[in-house]
Amino acid sequence: MGVDAPILYHRTYPLSSRLTYLYIPSTLFSVIEYLSKKGYSRTEAMLRMESANTDREGRPLIQRAEDLGGDKYFKAFELARGWIEENLDIYKPELKRILYPLFIYSYLNLLADCYKNESQKFFNAYKDLFIRTHESDLRVLNTLSLPEHVNSNNIAQVYRTNKYRVTLSPQAYYNLLQFLEAKDREGGTIVLSILQHHCNIRTAERGGASGSSLSLIGAALGQGLKDEDVLAEDEGIPGHNPGSANMTDSSSTVLVRLRLGHLPMDPDLASDVQNELQDLDAKNPPGEGQNTLVQEFETHIKREQSDDTPSREDMPLPPYTARDVAMEVQKVRENRDRFKIEGKTGGTGPGLSVVMFTWHNTYDSINCLDFSEDNLFAAAGTSESYIRVWSLEGRALQSILPQAADTTPLSSSRRLIGHSGPIYAVSFSPSAKNEDPDPIWPSTAPRYLVSCSADKTVRLWSLDTWTNLVIYKGHDDPVWDVTWCPFGYYFLTGSHDKTARLWSTDHISFLRMFAGHDQDVDTVCFHPNSVYVFTGSSDKTVRMWSIQTGSTVRLFTGHTGNLTSIACSPDGKTLASAADDGFIILWDLASGRRLKVMRGHSKGGIWSLSWSVESSVLVSGGADGTVRVWDVAVGNEASGPQGKVIAEGGAGTKIDGGATGAQGGSAAGGTAGVANANAGGGGKKKGKEVVVTPDQISAFPTKKSPIYKVKFTRKNLVVAGGAYLP
Amino acid sequence: MSYWNPDNVRDVAESVGISSLGDDVLQSLSRDVEYRLSQVLEEALKFMRHSKRTVLSTQDISQALRVLDVEPLYGYESTRPLRFGEASLGPGQPLFYVEDEEVDFEKLINAPLPKVPKEISFTAHWLAVEGVQPSIPQNPSSTDSRSSDLVSKAAGATTGLASISGNDNATIKPLVKHILSKELQIYFERISLAILDESNEDYRIAAFSSLRSDPGLHQLVPYFVQFISEKVTHGMKNLFVLTQMMHLASAILDNESLFIEPYIASIIPPILTCLVGRRLGDPSQPLSHYPLRDLAASLILLLTKKYAQSSHTLKPRLARTFLKHFLDPYKPLGVHYGAICGLQAIGGPEVIRVLVIPNLKAWEAVVRDESAGGEKEMVIKAVLRAVGSLEDESRRGMVNGFSEAGAEEMREKLMESVGEVIGGRIWELENMGLVKAVLECAGS
Repeated sequence: MGVDAPILYHRTYPLSSRLTYLYIPSTLFSVIEYLSKKGYSRTEAMLRMESANTDREGRPLIQRAEDLGGDKYFKAFELARGWIEENLDIYKPELKRILYPLFIYSYLNLLADCYKNESQKFFNAYKDLFIRTHESDLRVLNTLSLPEHVNSNNIAQVYRTNKYRVTLSPQAYYNLLQFLEAKDREGGTIVLSILQHHCNIRTAERGGASGSSLSLIGAALGQGLKDEDVLAEDEGIPGHNPGSANMTDSSSTVLVRLRLGHLPMDPDLASDVQNELQDLDAKNPPGEGQNTLVQEFETHIKREQSDDTPSREDMPLPPYTARDVAMEVQKVRENRDRFKIEGKTGGTGPGLSVVMFTWHNTYDSINCLDFSEDNLFAAAGTSESYIRVWSLEGRALQSILPQAADTTPLSSSRRLIGHSGPIYAVSFSPSAKNEDPDPIWPSTAPRYLVSCSADKTVRLWSLDTWTNLVIYKGHDDPVWDVTWCPFGYYFLTGSHDKTARLWSTDHISFLRMFAGHDQDVDTVCFHPNSVYVFTGSSDKTVRMWSIQTGSTVRLFTGHTGNLTSIACSPDGKTLASAADDGFIILWDLASGRRLKVMRGHSKGGIWSLSWSVESSVLVSGGADGTVRVWDVAVGNEASGPQGKVIAEGGAGTKIDGGATGAQGGSAAGGTAGVANANAGGGGKKKGKEVVVTPDQISAFPTKKSPIYKVKFTRKNLVVAGGAYLP
Repeated sequence: MSYWNPDNVRDVAESVGISSLGDDVLQSLSRDVEYRLSQVLEEALKFMRHSKRTVLSTQDISQALRVLDVEPLYGYESTRPLRFGEASLGPGQPLFYVEDEEVDFEKLINAPLPKVPKEISFTAHWLAVEGVQPSIPQNPSSTDSRSSDLVSKAAGATTGLASISGNDNATIKPLVKHILSKELQIYFERISLAILDESNEDYRIAAFSSLRSDPGLHQLVPYFVQFISEKVTHGMKNLFVLTQMMHLASAILDNESLFIEPYIASIIPPILTCLVGRRLGDPSQPLSHYPLRDLAASLILLLTKKYAQSSHTLKPRLARTFLKHFLDPYKPLGVHYGAICGLQAIGGPEVIRVLVIPNLKAWEAVVRDESAGGEKEMVIKAVLRAVGSLEDESRRGMVNGFSEAGAEEMREKLMESVGEVIGGRIWELENMGLVKAVLECAGS
C-alpha cells in the first residue's frame, strides 16, 4: 500500500471515523463521491487505486503467491507439477526430475522458516511421488521438525550446502523458464528461486548420433526412462559429472587415465614358476585337448603385457618366497582345469553349479562369512564378538604350538576370541588348493585371517597357531568391512568414521587414509591389480581411489540405497555394486559411466557379489535368500566406446567422459540406446511386484536362509554360505 | 502432529524440578526428542544392516547409542525380540512395558540346569548343478509360491534355463492363471447342460446356434475341447452323447470369430474315435453308429479343408491312421467303414486311387464273409461311394461306345484287379466310365 492513503484520510476526516470508512465499501463509495464533488481528482484516483486491491471486507487482496506464507510452496509445487503433467510426453520424464529437488528444497525451506505444520503437511502430501526412489533420505528428512534440525542434520546439510544437479535438454529447459516467468504471480518466482538457489540445471543436447526427436526422447529417458526407479546417472547430490571424479564444471571433461591392466609378475618369480610347471608337465602330461601348463602360463603372462599395466613399484610387495611359487603354480593349474564359461549362448546362460553351506542353530548371531580360496576353511564372525573357523572337510584343525598333554581329540572348528564387539567382516589371506600335495612344497593353505569389529579395531589372526597376532587401531568408529589385497600383505578397511584405510600386515598404523565420503564407508574392495581400491558408502556413492596418491579417481553416483556390496571384475574393467534396495549396477571403470542396472533381488540387502574368472557372469546373494546369476554382457553389447581419449599429456591421458560436446553427446547416445533396449525388454512394472531384468540367467532360492557370502572359486564353481533362520 | 507425547516431556521436566513449562517450549522439545530418537534409529539401522539382519534388535540400539556418545540403556539386552505388554491407564491411554517375569530365586537355584543350546554347525548341499536346481529336501520345492517371481517375466528373458531349472514345469501348473469371468462360466455350464439334454431339442439347437455365431467365446475354446474329449472318452456306449459332441465340435469349428488352430491337435482324437472306434453305441443295434461315423467323416473333411494348409503334417498323419485301420482285416466292419470314409474325406479321388483301389482285392476278404449282412452292405456301399468319386473326374475325355466283347473283357479285368465282390458291384452300376477309371488306377 502506498503511503498517501492514511494521510489522505487524516486530512479529510477526523481520526475517529477513519477506520469505519476504510472498511465499509459503501462508505468508501460516498467518500469517492464526495471527493469528486469537491474536485480532489488526484486524491480520488489514488483512493480508487488503493481500494482495487482490497476485497469486500476491505482486507488487502493477495495477488502474489509469495505473500501466502507457508502455503506458497504448496502453490508453487502444484503449479510446477500440474504443468509438467500436462506437458508433452517427450519432455515429461526429464522435467519430472526437477520435482524432487523442488520438493526437498521447498520442504527444507518451510522447516527453516519455522512453518512446522505446513512443512509436515507439505511432506505428507507429496512424499508418495518420491518414496520409491529416495526412501532412505525421505525417512531421515521426515523426522526433522525444527529449524535447528535442518542445520544439524547431515543429510539436510548435504542438500542445503550442495546444489542438486539435473540435466535437461535445452528445449525442455526453455519451456520451463518461459512457463515460470509467465506464471510469476502464481508461484513461478518461487519455483524459479528454488531452481536458482539450490539446483544446478545443466542443459545438454542428448540427441545422440541420429538427432531425431525420437532418439532425443530415448536419450533423455535413457538414463531416466526407468526414471521412476532409477536416478539419472548425473543427477543428485553432490551431482558429479558422469564419468569423472570432479565435482566442478570446469574440469568435467578431464579424467585421470587409469592403469587397469594386471600387475606384472616379478620376472624371477615368473621364471621359477615356469621351471616348476615344466617339471609338472613332464610328470603329468596334459590330457587330450588340454594345454600344457607352461603354455597356459605363457598366455597368462602375455595377457599381462598390455600397455596399461601399472608398474611393480606402484604396489611394493615383499620378496617372493617358495610359497608364492607354489601358489602361482596352483593358480595356473586351476585356471587350466576350470569350468569354462563362454558367455551367453542361444538364449540360455552357462549352467553354473552352486554349493550351498548352511549354518544351523545360529539364532541370527552370524554377521559375516568368508571362505578361503583353497575352499578348505570357512570363517564366521558373530555378534557375540568371537570368530569361528571350520574346516569344510571336517578335519581336525592342527596348531603348530605345543599342545597341552590332554588327549581330547582336536575339533574341526576353532574359536578365535579377542574382539570386544560384534564382528562385521572376516577375510582369509590368499591361498590356493594343493591338489596333489608334494611334501617338498610349502603349504599353500591360508595363513592369516583379518577381522574387524564394532570395537573399532582390526585384528590379524594366525591360522598356524590359532592366536591373535596384531591389533590394528586407527579407526575412530566401528569398522564395517575388511578385505585382503589379492597378493596378500596389504588389507583395506572401511569404517563408520567415513574413511577407508589401507594397512600392511607389518605396520600397526595405516599406510593410507581415503577420506571423502559423506557417510560411513560400508564396503570395500581391491582392484585385481591392487593399485586401486573401491569404497561403497551410505552416501550412496561408490568411489575409486588410487593407492599411489590416495585421491579419488572415479566417483559413481546413481544408487538410491545404501551400498551393501561391491566387487571388481577379474579383468579389471568393470565394477559391480549392489545396494539394499535390490539394485545391482555395473560401471565401466575407464570411462566412469554406468553400464547397466540389474534388478531382481527384493529389498533387504545384497550381501555379496562375485565375478566368474572370465568376467562374464556375476553372482549375487542377499537377504531375500536367493543366489542369482547375471549375464554381464546382455544389455550393453551396443555400448561401444563410451569415452574418448582426446589428449595425451603429462601423467596420464585425458578422457572425454562428459555429456557435453559432440563426442560426449554420441557417448550418451550410446548408453541411452543400451538403456533403452534394456527398458524395452525389461518392461518395468509398477507396484510392489519385484521386477526382474532380463539379464538374470537364473535364481536359486534357499529355504529361509539369507545368503551372506557368494564366491566363485578359481574353477568357476560357486560357493554360497548362509544361516538357516526358521 | 508429533508422535511423541508432550506429556512425557512435562513429566521429565517436573522430575528435574521445572514445574511450569510453556506450551511452545513443550512442543518444541517434544519435536526435538522425536528427532533425536530418529537419529538413534538411523544409526541403529546401520548396525542392523552390517549384522546382515532385517530385524532391528536391542543390541543395535545400544551400539548406536554408544556411537553417538550416549550412555547405553542397560537391562534390555536380548537376542530375541522383546515382548511388550499393554496396560491401560484409562480410556485411550495405553501404557506399554517390557514383560519381565518374576523369578523365584529359590526355584531357580534348585531347578535343573537348562539344556545347553545346540552347537552351531553347517551342512553342505547342491543349490544348483549346471544351472538346474536339484529337487532335494534342502532346496525349496518348485511349487513354492515364490518361484514365480524369481524369473524375469520380460520377453526375451532367459527362459530356456529357467524352464529346465524346474522353476516352472516340475508340476504342471500354469504360470499364468487363466481367469474365466463369471458370465463365461455360467455360459459354459448352460451350454454343456443344454447340448446333453436329450428331451429338449429346441434347447440343443439354440445352444449350437449360439456356439456357431457368438463372437466372444474364445476363452472357452480350451474348455469345450476338453469337454468334448472327456465326454467322448467316457461316453463310448452312448451314441447320443457322441453325436452331440460331434455337433459341438462342428459348431465351434464353424464359428468364424474363434481361432481354433492351436487346438486342432486336441480336437482331432475325439473325432477319430467317433469315426474309427471299434465299438460305438449299443452293440444290439449294429447299424446305429453309421450316421455318427458319417458325421465324423464330414468333420474330418472340414478340418482337412480348413487346416491342411497351416499344418502340413495333418493329412499324412490322418491318412496313415486310416490306412492302418483299412488294411487290418481283423478290425470290425464299422472301423473299415470309418477308415474308408475318412480316406475319402481327407483326399478325395486322389487318395482313393493311390491308397484304396490297389488294396481292394486283398481287402475283399473282409466283406466276402456272409455273416454280417447289414453291416457288410454299409461297408460295400462306402467303398462304392469312394470308388464312385473317381468317376466324376474321369468322365471327361471318355469315349462312349464299345463293343460287347470289349465289355466282357473289361469285366474280367475288373474282377481281377479289385476282386469279385467289389468288381461285381461296380459292374452292376453299368457305368463304363467308372469301370475304365478303376481299371486305369488298378493297372497303373
